[in-house]
Amino acid sequence: MAEETGGSTPGRAADLLNRKVLEKRDTAYRIVSRNVSEYHFIVPFDLSSDDRVEVGQIFSIQDGSMTYLARVLNIEHSSNYDGHWDTTVRGTQFFDRDQIFNRVIAEPLGCIEGKSGFKKSRTLPSKFAPVARAEREQFGFLTEVMGDIEVGYLRNGSRLVEDIPVALHSSAMDHHMGVFATTGMGKSNFMKVFAASCMRLSVRGDSKFGLLVVDPHGEYLKGKNLIKGLTHLKRYREGLSCYSTDRRNASDPGVEELGISLSEIFPEDIALLYDWSPPQKDALDAISRIFDPARWLEDIQTPEGMARMMAEGFRDSTVMVLIRRIRTELDRNPYVGRRSSLANILANLQKGKVVLVDIPRMSERSELFLLSVISRYILDEYKKDASDEQERKNCLITIEEAQRVLGSGSSTTRFESIAREGRKFGVGLCAVTQQPKLIEKQLLSQFNTLVVMGLGDRNDRQQLEESAKQDLSSMDIEIQTLEKGEAVISTLGIPFPVPARIHRYEDYLHRLEKEDKPQGLISRGGFKPFAD
Amino acid sequence: MQMDDYSRLSAVSEMICDHISLDGIDPFMQATGIFRADWQAIEPREFEGEVFAVDGSNAPLCNWSTASVNLIRAGYAVYRGREWQRTVITFEDLFMADEKLIESMFNPFLEEFFGLSGAAFKESDLERLSSYYREMQEYIAIDDALDHAKAGDLILYDGSFEVFEPLRGAVASIFTKAENRGVDLLAVAKSSSLSWGEGISLPFVPHAGLAGSLLLPGSAWYISLKDKMVDAGQGRWNGEAFVVRFCGQSHHAFRVDAPAYLAPDIRPALQKAAAYSCSAECMGYPHALFRAHRDIRIAEPERAAARRRLIASLAERGMSSLQINMLMLDFHDILEMRPSF
Repeated sequence: MAEETGGSTPGRAADLLNRKVLEKRDTAYRIVSRNVSEYHFIVPFDLSSDDRVEVGQIFSIQDGSMTYLARVLNIEHSSNYDGHWDTTVRGTQFFDRDQIFNRVIAEPLGCIEGKSGFKKSRTLPSKFAPVARAEREQFGFLTEVMGDIEVGYLRNGSRLVEDIPVALHSSAMDHHMGVFATTGMGKSNFMKVFAASCMRLSVRGDSKFGLLVVDPHGEYLKGKNLIKGLTHLKRYREGLSCYSTDRRNASDPGVEELGISLSEIFPEDIALLYDWSPPQKDALDAISRIFDPARWLEDIQTPEGMARMMAEGFRDSTVMVLIRRIRTELDRNPYVGRRSSLANILANLQKGKVVLVDIPRMSERSELFLLSVISRYILDEYKKDASDEQERKNCLITIEEAQRVLGSGSSTTRFESIAREGRKFGVGLCAVTQQPKLIEKQLLSQFNTLVVMGLGDRNDRQQLEESAKQDLSSMDIEIQTLEKGEAVISTLGIPFPVPARIHRYEDYLHRLEKEDKPQGLISRGGFKPFAD
Repeated sequence: MQMDDYSRLSAVSEMICDHISLDGIDPFMQATGIFRADWQAIEPREFEGEVFAVDGSNAPLCNWSTASVNLIRAGYAVYRGREWQRTVITFEDLFMADEKLIESMFNPFLEEFFGLSGAAFKESDLERLSSYYREMQEYIAIDDALDHAKAGDLILYDGSFEVFEPLRGAVASIFTKAENRGVDLLAVAKSSSLSWGEGISLPFVPHAGLAGSLLLPGSAWYISLKDKMVDAGQGRWNGEAFVVRFCGQSHHAFRVDAPAYLAPDIRPALQKAAAYSCSAECMGYPHALFRAHRDIRIAEPERAAARRRLIASLAERGMSSLQINMLMLDFHDILEMRPSF
């Protein structure tokens, strides 16, 4: 409302009056209520599609020297009238369209005061403080808090804020990361973008951790169905080490055929693959006591080995089941033999490279088996080296369909132990799943970085909301309505869950390939925007 | 106690029926001297100009018998066709009603805006004083609207021009200004004390409305009260009174006052008003007046906030809580067990 001290009312008359004029646009986009934890403002109900307010959009509220930021949680039809007029034909004869509006309910994210940076707000903006869609200027502080692993751009509703790249912190990766999305929402694309950024950091000498990706679908190495793979990022190809169980893929230069030596397989790697009876479990536990750990796989299959087991009191039927299952697994995993790639894999991870283990067409059980062997080896080696950790980079192990090994009923404790204690030794987990509800809540609470990319199942969202370090409960509608490629990222170092649009891998690849030369980071994190 | 226990219930009900019912329109027309031909249909006619709707509001903050403090607001809403353009608040301030301070409160405004000096007020009723002050501010709002209106525009005032004698000079000044500017000025009263009948006082405007509904169903209409047997105060305020139904879909009729310069040819002004009196929000009433009422009214939370500010200001000046309590307390709050402040 504009106050007119003079206007058309001259002199003394102006002193006697206190003339104010309220015009169109004066009532919308102003804070009208409600409290410190929830702001309400109104917007016209008939905004154009460009101006329409969306759940998840971030608005700024200017109140003196303070700028508050608030994220839209919900939008309601509302008006200044009571009753149910809008369900009658009378609704078509309304004169005052400005009295019918949408009420926007927003959650305060925090406030910025001068140059003191962003902080949580303990107060609320003044009544009628003006509200506007937050733009680059208001988001500027985010560039100061972003990390070094770029994955996308900041998103405000459906609009991109291309000046603000969203980047995760390398330092947060040993605190574990979860990538959650239903099928087709962009998990694989995210992982490729993430891996590409890690390759870039590695080549530039800025990498702080090695990334292990085990790919059972054969889509990361060379891509699939016109979608490109990690090897297409030629500019930063040196940041990638590839191993494959597929002979044809392994024939490519730069791809090594995967080998695991018999001596590197432990009874517990076999144990996680089947449901065992109590006597069978006892027999498995006894193996490392009875046999030489380096030769147990070969020895147990011999008549002498079987005899030694029976001499320990195990029935022949129990031992036969063990041997049969071991033979089955060895037949299924022909890469198990004399040669081993594990030392190389470990060395590359410790150098901060991306290590891709390509296992196309491998069964789910074999994939679990391999993942178990590799991750156990890595954790054991990192435990040994814990004393001189300055010499090596940390490590992040990716697990696809993580609910198989981190679920409350899963038979393995291997990955659980990484989740619980890996951080002490610099080993983190990157759990990728479309069913977070199946992951044990206690384990999920160990994950300090969550990349949520659209979850339709209420139970999945609830599981994340209850386990997340940052409050995601108010973002339920937004997470439910995320579109393909959109994400909400909650991570250490960034003060609130950030809405992002993940780069399309092919576009990001193109951008990285066009980089002329390594460019400096903006302050502590984030890439300088590229001019495509 | 049940309703049947009221010994006078049936008698009162009978009297209400006598007041409200209209047994045929002939007795009404005979008693008032109004003929069927006096009901004139109105063809609503949209126009390019603006409609200004003037209203005021008055909220008591405290009262200590010899004086009272009220929050007064006056202003107007402006429409072009069905589109609201703006709302102008011309006055929003506290008024202290004290018989001994009347002239110092009224005269600066009357002198400044209407060139009136030495208006004599003799009124000890504090509520009436506050109402007169609000009315004066409403006239100033009309004056302001006239300053911004163009020839052919329509100004509607929520009330009547039959006013408190000391303010008639202000109304006369407004009429002159409106005539000079070629602006149509009408006062629309939602309630009217006009009556007819000899034995008991029968409500004139509602009965005129019922009769009009029978004679001109589905149509907007008006009747002039000039030379009719109804005392509408004609002659005292230099204008004429009418009864108008603005919208054919509504049964509500209103008393409408028009200045003498406009009364002989009031139809075009009523056509303009009728064109914008069928909104879904407030069917049958000029929509601009509906909006002015809503925008300018002092809602209870505003009154409570003004009261709190006044209390804080008194405390800042050293008044004790006992004194403030004495000043602000409405004993009804205690009787009704309401928290006062």
